[in-house]
Amino acid sequence: MSLFSNTAVLLGKELRTEFRSRELLTTTVVFILVVVVLFSFTFDASSAESRRFAASLLWLAFLFAASLMLQPCFLREQSNDTLSALRLSVTDPFAIFAAKLSANTLFLLLTELLMLPVFSVLFNVPVFPVFGELVVVLFLGSLGVSIAGTALSAISAQARMRELLLPLLLLPLLTPVLVASTRVTLALLDTEPYMEWKGIGFLVVFDVVFLTALWLFGEYLLEE
Amino acid sequence: MKKHALASAVVFLLLGAAAYGALFVAPTEKTMGTIQRIFYLHVSSAWTGLTAFFICFLANLVYVWRREPRWDWLAVSAAEVGLVFTTVVLVTGPIWAHPVWGIWWTWDARLTSTFVLWLLYISYLLLRTLVEEPDRRALFSALFGIFAFIDVPLVFGSIRWWRTQHPQPVVMGGSGSGLEPTMWYVLLFSWGAMLSLMALLVRARFEFEAVRGETDLVRREAEGV
Amino acid sequence: MKNLNSVFAAYLAGWGIFFLYYISIARRTAALREEIERLKNSLKRAK
Repeated sequence: MSLFSNTAVLLGKELRTEFRSRELLTTTVVFILVVVVLFSFTFDASSAESRRFAASLLWLAFLFAASLMLQPCFLREQSNDTLSALRLSVTDPFAIFAAKLSANTLFLLLTELLMLPVFSVLFNVPVFPVFGELVVVLFLGSLGVSIAGTALSAISAQARMRELLLPLLLLPLLTPVLVASTRVTLALLDTEPYMEWKGIGFLVVFDVVFLTALWLFGEYLLEE
Repeated sequence: MKKHALASAVVFLLLGAAAYGALFVAPTEKTMGTIQRIFYLHVSSAWTGLTAFFICFLANLVYVWRREPRWDWLAVSAAEVGLVFTTVVLVTGPIWAHPVWGIWWTWDARLTSTFVLWLLYISYLLLRTLVEEPDRRALFSALFGIFAFIDVPLVFGSIRWWRTQHPQPVVMGGSGSGLEPTMWYVLLFSWGAMLSLMALLVRARFEFEAVRGETDLVRREAEGV
Repeated sequence: MKNLNSVFAAYLAGWGIFFLYYISIARRTAALREEIERLKNSLKRAK
């Protein structure tokens, strides 16, 4: 049970750090808004077509935002070498990842939930009838993004050109998440909404596979 | 040197035989005609590329476990060679598609997945150029290589599922089109020839990596004097 | 036998890519081997 308690303590630290300044959340929300507005210039956003593109826009905007938002994850542990302190404070190094990816999932989910009503208004898509189902796909998708993103952030923090490297490594890897999440969201925003269970299945598989991989190999990502 | 020349000659002969098989031995396909013969080069390259990436994956695992540089050398060699084969798949696909469909690219499930695969391993190679310390570079690229490879079935699966919802022209006639026995033999022989080419290329690339290590050592010794 | 040109183009392109790759490795390896010889000779002279 020490993994659980270690994770809980570290998660508390991550949440407190962010909620003190809220800078990550606010900048991510504004970034997504900017992306949405820019996207709207590239097609006829008021037509019936826009309904079909809303799901794609949603997930592309979230992916781009996440690949930027995940940069500080391990980068901020480099100043003052707090990563060494973290490593010493836990018995299981996976706790560090578990805490960070939980925090990242939460931050992503919060941003997405904040953006949902905005999307609903801007693109004329009914979000509230399927709100529960949307939360499920947003959660599973964000979890996938966070697991892969947190792991790769540990790598990019120690490389050159890290601002470009993280998206470069992360985005091709997240193709299955983008495909599945968009399909499920598209089905939910349809004129006759339905639940695309196969897509949910893909997301669950992705999350389980990558969480297991991170659990098996995470400690090597944190090596001196 | 002699063994090397002999090996190259054997590979060259196998490739020639495979091409002959594809062009003259294999029966002409009913619906697509002659153009379908690209299939033997295209599919055997695809399978060989995946084999190379699998070897890279195994080398990555062994490196993380043993930390001996030669496994890192094998990993980068296999990845680069796999990328070369994957490039051939992406080049022969449009050459096939254009006469048949009039367009160069169709976002067909397998071609799209191959494109993502290509991007994944390009990122792997780019990562290696951006980490300077050799041990760290080897470890991080091994870990990313592991993540990339386990992603491959998910990429192919999810894109295929997505594409069944919006059927597009399928390059190479899809899996539904039956293959006559002769076609299977030619395909498998082509794959065998491609695998021998892969072995040759990986060995050459591995040798380059080894010589590069030796050069660094001698260079440092010369500087120390 | 229409489209035979495309089949030949595909095989040429494919083999061309393999050949160019092989040549590039062979050349770079030879260049490195030359440098080792050069360095070893200068070391011998220095000793």
